[in-house]
Amino acid sequence: MIEIDDLLKQTQLPGNYFAFNSYVRGDLELGLLENRRGDRILALPDTLVRAIYKGLEQETGQAARLVLFNCGRWWGKHFYVRFCEEIAEYYHQPLGSMEMIQFTQCLQQCWKTHGWGTLDIDGSYNQQGFLLIKTTHSPFSQEAPEWKRPVCYLEAGLFSIFFSQLTGRDLHCVQTTCQSLGADYNCFIVGLSDRLKAAEAMVDENQDHDTILRQLCQQKSG
Amino acid sequence: MSSDVNSLLTQAENRYLKPEELQEFKRHTSTLAQRLKIYEFLRDREAVIFEPIVEKLQTAFPEAQQPLVEKSLQHWILIMRHCAMAMLLDDTDYLKNNVLDWLRGFVKTRQSQTIETKIHELLLARLQEMLSPKAMIYLEDNLNLAKDTLLANSD
Repeated sequence: MIEIDDLLKQTQLPGNYFAFNSYVRGDLELGLLENRRGDRILALPDTLVRAIYKGLEQETGQAARLVLFNCGRWWGKHFYVRFCEEIAEYYHQPLGSMEMIQFTQCLQQCWKTHGWGTLDIDGSYNQQGFLLIKTTHSPFSQEAPEWKRPVCYLEAGLFSIFFSQLTGRDLHCVQTTCQSLGADYNCFIVGLSDRLKAAEAMVDENQDHDTILRQLCQQKSG
Repeated sequence: MSSDVNSLLTQAENRYLKPEELQEFKRHTSTLAQRLKIYEFLRDREAVIFEPIVEKLQTAFPEAQQPLVEKSLQHWILIMRHCAMAMLLDDTDYLKNNVLDWLRGFVKTRQSQTIETKIHELLLARLQEMLSPKAMIYLEDNLNLAKDTLLANSD
């Protein structure tokens, strides 16, 4: 039997921790934008993102991709820790006991509120050992130069380390579709590092997402 | 504050507001006392509002798992609190920005659409019993928006 008093006794219901009006705060006197926990956040103009890509390309050539990916991994490592701390604290629940849907909802809302675009997690290939992440309106896909290949290396780096830490496995992330190339969304495949090695080469060969995914899934049973 | 009233702030950057611009603000403040009263009513009678809903829900879904029903009820307690705040702030986007997008994912994953629809139906009926039609005007649209958003097929 459900008792209404028990339900209402919980002074806090699981609302949206990342709701923009509650999450983004600031000390405008000091020119500081902060999140509700007091961590500093920043508004980045798109020209700066463009400049970062251009500058890296100029100085490091093809290595720019690796630099960006590694930056993403560094960012992702710290983002993961902060993110988990924040939601465990707010919802008074250790991560281990949190429903996966709540965790992924938090990640989606966090992504949106920070202005990084939208994020969707597609678990339909979980059985085959792959997680698909789909983003739209990425500032990086919009501002990167025309490299004629997927360009969201920062995000790929972030996803690789984020999900590695979440699962405790050594995971890699490869982007297979990109809005900079006219696709409807940016698609990232997350999976075990040694299984995804082949995917990198297929992206280099301009193979499409469905072909890459099919080949990756066949690998296991092959 | 509602987005309409907020936009007045931008317009008033360099000058006083014109009479017709001030009308929106006057409407906002003239209904404030009434909205406060309704807000306090909803706050003080939260348990009374939901108690019969909980009973009727369990009768309607005797086979459903208790945790699932509880979670759906939690959604609507949350929605109700946000509707009350949206009314107080006179902000039409408040609900959407703060809670509906968030809850939609849960409903879709837990497949609780039928239960959620029933709670919405019971909640509207219960509020209509307890509030005047004039008061319901402040809440009905947002509650219907909540139901439509939670149940919308998103793919």
